[in-house]
Parts: sequence; C-alpha cells; structure tokens
Amino acid sequence: MAKFKVFSEESNKSPLARFWRKFKNNHPALVGLWVFIAFALLAASAPFLAPYGVNQQHSDALLIPPSWHEMGDVRFILGTDDLGRDVLSRLMNGATYTFGLSVVAALLTTIIGVLVGTFAGISRGIRSSFLNHLLDITLSIPSLLLAIIIIAVLGPGLMNTVWAIILALLPQFIHSIRNLIVEELSKDYITAFKLDGASNWHIISRGIFPNIYEHIVVIFTMALSTAILDISALGFLKLGAQPPTTEWGAILAENLGLIYLAPWTVALPGVLLFLAVLSTNLVGDGLRQVLKERKAD
Amino acid sequence: MILDYILRRLGLLLFMLLMLSIFTFSLAYLFPGDPLSNLSGVPSNNFSQNTQLEDKYLYNSNYFTQYIAFLGRVFQGDWGLSFASGDNVFSHILDLLPATLELSVYALIVSIFIGVPAGILGSAYYNRWPDKLINSTTIVGYSMPVFWLALLLIMIFSLKLGWFPMSGRMGLLYEIPPTTGFMLIDIALAGFPYKGMAFTDALHHLTLPTIVLAMYPTTVLVRFTRESMLKIMDQNFIKTARAKGLNRRQLILHHALRNALLPVIKKIGLQFSTLITLAMITEVIFSWPGIGRWLIDSIYQRDFPAIQGGLMAVSLFVILATIVTELLYSLFDPLSRNQAHGKV
Repeated sequence: MAKFKVFSEESNKSPLARFWRKFKNNHPALVGLWVFIAFALLAASAPFLAPYGVNQQHSDALLIPPSWHEMGDVRFILGTDDLGRDVLSRLMNGATYTFGLSVVAALLTTIIGVLVGTFAGISRGIRSSFLNHLLDITLSIPSLLLAIIIIAVLGPGLMNTVWAIILALLPQFIHSIRNLIVEELSKDYITAFKLDGASNWHIISRGIFPNIYEHIVVIFTMALSTAILDISALGFLKLGAQPPTTEWGAILAENLGLIYLAPWTVALPGVLLFLAVLSTNLVGDGLRQVLKERKAD
Repeated sequence: MILDYILRRLGLLLFMLLMLSIFTFSLAYLFPGDPLSNLSGVPSNNFSQNTQLEDKYLYNSNYFTQYIAFLGRVFQGDWGLSFASGDNVFSHILDLLPATLELSVYALIVSIFIGVPAGILGSAYYNRWPDKLINSTTIVGYSMPVFWLALLLIMIFSLKLGWFPMSGRMGLLYEIPPTTGFMLIDIALAGFPYKGMAFTDALHHLTLPTIVLAMYPTTVLVRFTRESMLKIMDQNFIKTARAKGLNRRQLILHHALRNALLPVIKKIGLQFSTLITLAMITEVIFSWPGIGRWLIDSIYQRDFPAIQGGLMAVSLFVILATIVTELLYSLFDPLSRNQAHGKV
C-alpha cells in the first residue's frame, strides 16, 4: 500500500463526490446498488405492475411450470401454484411485504437507535453503566428468541412481526451507535470544540453527526439485511405473515408440501430472498470499503 | 489485578442474571391469559385448586414477594409445568438442551477450523485471487437465508443423492442409553455398540445440520479474521520485522498471527447468541429434538411456562458462554484487563 501519490495533482472534491467516485469503481457494489434500487421500486409499485391479482385463481392452469419449461405456458412466466395463482404476481407483491416492510423496520430502528445510542454515548457515570449493562443483557438473548417472545406477547401477525424485529434489532444498533459516538467524543477536535464552549447539542449536531452519518448508513444496511432474514424466517416458521399474505418466507412455507411436484414454487422465493439480502450486503460492504479507503488517503 | 478483573466480571454476571430473572418473571404477566396459570402451568379449573396455587405462589402478596418466591422455585428446579405435556419444564430442558448444545458446539468447531484459516489465507493473499475467491464465497454464504440453505441441501443430498438422512439425531434401529445427552459421547461411553455402526449413523445424521448451522458463523469468522490480520499487518512492528529481513511466512506465523487472533477469541464468544438463533430454525427443519424446536412448538401451542423456561435456560447459557470467553480473552491479553467500569 503506497503512502504517497505519484501525481501531485490535488483533489478538492467534496467528501460525498469522492465517496461516489470510489463507490463507482467497486463493480459488485454498484451492481448490488442497482438490484437494491430495483427491489425498492418493485416494492413500491408491485400492485400496479403485477399481471394478475395476488389471490386470482386460474382453475384451468394448476401447477404449470415456468414458461421456459416445455410444459410451461407463456401466460404465466414463472408458472402457477397448486391453486392456480400466478407465481410471478405473488412474488412481485412479496417484495412489498418482505423488502418494503424490512426497509420500514430498519428505518424505524435507525431513528430510535440513533436517539437512544446518542443518549447512551454522551451520558456518564451510573446512568451510562446501567444502560450498557441493560444492553449487554438484551444482546445475550438471541434475536429470534426475543422476536418470538414479543410475538408470544402480542400474538402472531405481520405488523407484530415488524415491531418484534425492530425491538430485536435495537440493542445491536444502539450498541454500534454508542461505540461510534464514544470513539468520536475522545478525539481532539471535539475537545477543542468543547473548550470553545460548545453545548452538548452543538457537539452532537455540528461536531459528531457530520462525521458519522456515513457509518450510520453502513449500520443501516446491516440492520436491513438482518431484518429481511428475520421477517422471512418468522414467516417461514408461520409466526409472522400468515399464508394468504405474499411474504416470501410465508410463500416458501406454504409451498413446502409441493417440493416434489413443483420445486419452482419453493426455489423462486428463496432465490429472491437471497438476491435481496445479497444486494443489501454488497452495498453495505462497498460503503464500508469506501469509507476505509477515503480515510486512508 | 486479574483477581479484581474477575470479581468485576462476576458482578456483571450477577447483575445480568438479576435482570434476566426479572424479565422472565414479568413475562408471566405480559403473556395473554391468567398470570397464575402462566407461572404454574396449571390451567385454573376449580376454586379449591386455585386457592391452593395462590397460596403456593404467594399470588395475593406484592410483586416483590412473588418475585422472591419465583427465584426460590427457580433454584429448586421447580420451573412450572408445561401446558402441552403436563411435565416439569425443567426436566424437559435438561433432556433437550444437550441436543442443541451438541449441534451448536460442533458447528462452532467446524466454523473455527474453516473460518480462521480461510481468513488468514485471505489476508496473506490480500487482493489477489485466493482473497477474492474467499471474499465472494463468504458474501454469498452470508446472504443465504438459513432455512433456504437447509432446504437446498436436503433437496440435493437427501432426496436426489440419498447420502444423508434428512431428519432426526439417530436411526431408529439403535438404542443408546442417554447418560450425558451428547449423542457422540454417549455412544463412546456405551463402548461403541453395534460394531460402531451407531456412531457412523449418528455422524451421518449430524452432517447436514452442522453444515447448515456452521455456514453463518464461518463467514463471520472469515471476515473478522481477515480484517484483524490486515489491521495488524499494517502496523509498525510488522514493518520493522520485514525490514529485518524476515520472509512472509515468518512474519505471519510468528508476529502477526498471535496478535491478530486475540480479538477473534472474543468474536467466537459472541457467536453463541447467533448460533442459538440459527439452531432454532435448523432444528425445526431437520426435526432435531433440541430446545429450539421445542420452543417453536411451544409458541404454536401457546405453552407459556415452556417459553419462559426456555428463554431462561438459553439466555443463561449464552451469558455464561460470553463471560467465560471474555475471561479467557483477558487471560491471554493483559491489555484488555485495564478497562474502565461499564465499558463494553
């Protein structure tokens, strides 16, 4: 790793511009970003794009394989399930539930997590100690178990799953934000700022946040990929979204009995889930890589 | 100083146990239904039985007295009765926990033996093809939903190829007396009955669940080891060693590795919580008779005493595992003992 530049040309671009420039050069991350945007658009517009209704049954076309198969029918590009419902339409609508709700859950987690994490970061003494130990204990309860207990209290259902996932994601999130804030607080520029007479609010809003918001985005992508995995896992365990809902994990669980007859009804939701998580992780990894590189130069 | 550190950790452990027990106790009131039957596991049927229970659980006194009584019962091993089976929850947990622990421990061992060397390899060939290969494999493994991976492996190895059985811990042909609850150890203790065929059968049953469960921690360890190695390799003492004329092999084996593996020990301890989460799903798919599957079944059956007991047992295990690895870590790394109170 060279510590000096051969060309002495100075780059005075803004941090964000340099960020994008570096991110663009990381091709897997860029592809991940495009897939991510595609999923987001699909999640927002699935009901208008889908060729058929979610629960529309075609009694003349049961268990038709995908259209590239010789038994396939071009009317149903990804085939139909045992009730004659179009798999493509169901999967498209599933993006709204699995991906869209995960984004909502991760965003809510971010808002709450940043607030509480900041508070935990700037507090001192017994309050900080108590908060941290409380975090420790919630971190030691496995996240799915925590979600399951919350569902046992609230009852199964999609919205309750979202709350459960938010609560299960929060401890980890608060922990990361707190570490970021504590690390930033110990730096010299914050000390100088403090000596200038800046209040706590000034230190947080003017000093720390401009320096850590990119890291918060990285933590957000991690929370998002966990949220997608958890929502679908709970759907798969029949504790989250209930069968007529087109959540991908629930579709997978519903069609598990068809695994011999119609493997595509099980494989396709899994592929989509995998792609959604993969794109999120690629973007997150790319962001982290860029942050590290920008720090180095 | 080390004694001081251990005492501080024990204090933390006590605090965590206190909070955990308060949380578990309050669940009886948070769960739907009658708190008294949630605590005892006896559905309220008639008046005389109810008054008897109220006396036993001190139900009419204040919450604090009830909590103390709850603690006493926890230590006596009286964790209430399961709604579903009518048996003591504690004896269920004693039966089921070893199966989960066995699976998780093997998965953790596999992930350490694959993950750590792969991470070292990746950092040794930084940004060249072995690193890129390892990196892209880990990100794929990292993004794979665990239940889908399990289904894919079942489809390929159990249904298509027929190499491995798809459910259970053991073929029905064999009967092994459960002494420790760990299947492989039990078979060894019984002196490898059935000419060792029981042992191979148990190994066969273990293979797929272990692979599925090991996938996520392996990828985490690969990434973490690689990062940690790269961080160390960038430090000045490595540059000095290189300037002295050591070759890369000596650098990595004698100088970098020892320092880079220290944080990895801590990371391994943190894996238990994730492992148990994943084990719950894996157990459901592979019909593994462990505590995770039992907990999920308890949810379906609204078996609240079982959920409470399971939560307590699993979290207790995770907390103990975390504290033990932290103590180990501080034994190896003197620098870490100098932490202030309440730092995480």
